[in-house]
Amino acid sequence: MKRLALNATAVAVLIVTIFPVYWMFLTAFKPTRDIQSDTPTFWPAHPTLDHFVTAVNAPGFWTYWRNSLLVTAGAVLIALVVALMAAFAVARMRWRGRGAFVVAVFAAQMAPWEALLVPVFIIARDTDLLDSLAMLTGVYFMITLPFTIVTLRGFLAAIPPELEEAAQVDGCSRVVAFRRVVFPLLAPGLMATSLFGFITAWNEFAFVNVLIIKDQDKRTLPVWLSSFRDVFGTDWGATMAAASLFALPVLLLFLFLQRHVGTGMTAGAVKG
Amino acid sequence: MKHRILALVAVLALSACGTPAEEPKASGPAKLTVWIMDGSVTQELLKKFETAYEAAHRGIDLDIQIQAWDGIGERVTAALASTDAPDVIEVGNTQVAQYSASGGVTDLTAKVGELKGADWLPGLAQPGNIDGKQYGIPWYAANRVVVYNKDLFAEAGIKEPPKTRDEWLEITKKLNKDGNQGIYLTGQTWYALAGFIWDEGGDLAVQEGGKWKGALDTPQALAGMDFYKRLQALGKGPKDADEANPPQHEVFAQGKVAQIIAVPGIAARVLEVDAKLKDKMGFFPIPGKTADKPGTVFTGGSDLIIPAASKRQEEAYELVKALAGEQFQTELAKAMSFVPNRTSLAGVLSGEEGTAAMAKGAANGRATPNTPNWAAVEATSVIKQYMTAVLTGADPAAEARKVSESITSTLNSGS
Amino acid sequence: MRGRSPWPYLLIAPTVAGGAFLLLYPLLKAAVISFQHFRMGELIRGGAAFAGLENYAELLAGEEFWQVLLRTLAWTAINVVLIVVLATGVALMLPRLRRGLRLALMSALALAWAMPIIAATTVFQWLFQSELGVVNWLLVTLGFDSFQGYTWFANGTATFAVLVVLVVWQSVPFAALTLYAGLTTIPVELFESARIDGGTGRQVFCRVTFPMLRQLFALVAALEVIWVAKCFPQIWVLSQGGPGDATTTLPVYAFKIARVLHRYDLGSAVAMLTVLLLAVALVANLRRMVRS
Repeated sequence: MKRLALNATAVAVLIVTIFPVYWMFLTAFKPTRDIQSDTPTFWPAHPTLDHFVTAVNAPGFWTYWRNSLLVTAGAVLIALVVALMAAFAVARMRWRGRGAFVVAVFAAQMAPWEALLVPVFIIARDTDLLDSLAMLTGVYFMITLPFTIVTLRGFLAAIPPELEEAAQVDGCSRVVAFRRVVFPLLAPGLMATSLFGFITAWNEFAFVNVLIIKDQDKRTLPVWLSSFRDVFGTDWGATMAAASLFALPVLLLFLFLQRHVGTGMTAGAVKG
Repeated sequence: MKHRILALVAVLALSACGTPAEEPKASGPAKLTVWIMDGSVTQELLKKFETAYEAAHRGIDLDIQIQAWDGIGERVTAALASTDAPDVIEVGNTQVAQYSASGGVTDLTAKVGELKGADWLPGLAQPGNIDGKQYGIPWYAANRVVVYNKDLFAEAGIKEPPKTRDEWLEITKKLNKDGNQGIYLTGQTWYALAGFIWDEGGDLAVQEGGKWKGALDTPQALAGMDFYKRLQALGKGPKDADEANPPQHEVFAQGKVAQIIAVPGIAARVLEVDAKLKDKMGFFPIPGKTADKPGTVFTGGSDLIIPAASKRQEEAYELVKALAGEQFQTELAKAMSFVPNRTSLAGVLSGEEGTAAMAKGAANGRATPNTPNWAAVEATSVIKQYMTAVLTGADPAAEARKVSESITSTLNSGS
Repeated sequence: MRGRSPWPYLLIAPTVAGGAFLLLYPLLKAAVISFQHFRMGELIRGGAAFAGLENYAELLAGEEFWQVLLRTLAWTAINVVLIVVLATGVALMLPRLRRGLRLALMSALALAWAMPIIAATTVFQWLFQSELGVVNWLLVTLGFDSFQGYTWFANGTATFAVLVVLVVWQSVPFAALTLYAGLTTIPVELFESARIDGGTGRQVFCRVTFPMLRQLFALVAALEVIWVAKCFPQIWVLSQGGPGDATTTLPVYAFKIARVLHRYDLGSAVAMLTVLLLAVALVANLRRMVRS
């Protein structure tokens, strides 16, 4: 009886969780005629790939893909390296100003990015950095950096410093000790945090919308995702097909990193 | 041999002259960037124009960029504020005033004569004109008509399109049965409401002694809203959504909706969903209060602007001249079912049923209140929310007072 | 390790440099703008005039800012509580399921998490349509006839509720998966001994699970607070902060002012006040952070 209730609940949660995602895929395969109908259909009666064709043939699709990958991967990787350095300094060293630094990083997570759009635009314009993928990468780097530092710091703190010290005693330099001993233990944490950064940067629209103006070839995928709408309304089918394709990299990355994600976060927090 | 060398020198000299002196690093043709909104012009027409234009203007390379609607307001603002802006931008006629007032758009007053501005559609020319200076150049317009399903009209025994509002309600009631919708009018189709209000002698907002005032709470405006409510009830249009959401052409294409209010260009979209509806769509102007005059309609459309930050002002103007000129206007109007930018060109519309109905209504076209802040009223969708509230049973007078106050404060918020 | 080694400073140098140029500098700029008359014209032409405290005065004089602030607090509290409670439930359920079902549920959570925000928002908008929406269809099919054509987005409370459902749906997967991963790190012996001592399920949770994962709960809750409070695209797409002001939270309010009305000056003032309030609210939290 208890077992039954448990399974029933699990199935209910499963359905509620999956339904909107299923609806997205379903719509992507439905012919436009079937999308708006009086009684909903939960199975594509006449599946079609038309919407995917529309989505993939939209102008700039491949360019936007490349840009999105470049910018997102760039931002995430730089953030990881920079954050690792800072997290190491915070977790392993005692120095004047450390407390203030931690506070600043934590507070930076709450930066009102929506409100910084105009100032960032002005700065980019005045330093000739409009239409530049580097500037965009920089902004995404900054948006993800504080979170990355906070989680990595917690994670580093969970690794006993004695391990490194032992390695150093064995004659390794500090850098080598870090690489050989700490880094492997840190890998799950790095992956977990990188996924969050990836999702944030991958979805970002507001900044690319105003920082990339004249050079259309530097726009990113969210611009493409929002392009199936005109004065007559949104082309639901194409939008959902595009969204399905858009979600794919995140999903792949998640599956790839999955076993690390949870443990990474946990280990980071347990001793945070 | 000697001749050959001479010829070579001559060619070199000529090509040297060909490159503009003030642009030392430009080694190829001058690139002109143009922003056209998604859905304004078909790809084929743009391609054709581009090829012809580049052939006629040596040294110009057109880069036509289709702009998505999402976030376009911020993108245009950013473009105007940048140091190297696109050279020509298409902006909606309800948006052009705010850009013109910002100081980021080139003043083209001196060119109005050359562009034959004397008979521009007022609904496009006025919003592009701030304090007597012309910034926006009218491009095209479209106004709404009633698109109907001929089969359903025949089934219900209706032979003549209605001429007055009363007739309209009557036939719509007849059509609204047996699982069919008399009209699919969403609760937030506020351009339609604007027309009804103007017909009653009201307005969305009025200017009094230099101050703007929301006017949806006047008796005339409330009468317009009341008519909207009665019409809207004769179908199953969602009361809390607008016509784009879900797209009404997809609903109409199901074949169970007798009428929708839309620009005639929507016919092409309906056919994309279901090609069987070809020859089954009819059009008539939105009926007025009396049979002698069709209903007042909102003139929607676009203007072209040249950002002050464009580095190729002269070339940009030449391009605007071509886009706003007779030849392209004729092609555009035919291909997209638009009203051309000058009344004297309206003749091109007579051939086809949809555009003919639109042209009849266009004579009674009006624009939204002519103030740079109107765009903000639109963007906050307060009018849409007002309509939803009334349609779902709230007290019209109280809601109208609230929304008018909100419009008043937005319109007077300064710049 | 201690003393005057330059290493720590070299290690944080990139962070500090990045933060200075891409965060602090824009923030200072926003602060300056909040004391100026800075609108669309000034953005395009430059030459903004000093306006003193005018923008702040305008903001604080009206009731709207305070209402929005209260609404944001309520919005955040409701969402975070629901997210943490539901996520805890899911996380506790996962290890008790059979392998197949557990994997299915975890995959579903991952899918929901990976779904682009805009796509999820669009789908929800669609599910809750009044005439062709699946939710109304389902409710009517189940016998709740009053939902025939029910207009979810006409009513402030209903719109608010739909948004809560959306945000909770989007946020639970991350929280649940994280908490579940945390659970798996607790040694099984602890649970067993607690049960042998005669503890009920709830007692085990209170005595073993929660204390063990206290830090993790704190982290998840803190992250959710930040994300929910800053949540913007969902609200804007679904309701534009309406009907009336029913769903206007701080980010929506700031967006309306800055980018719809082009009052960048007033918008910056809102941002500055938000930052200030957040700083005050977080002082306690930050102190703890520093001590650790």
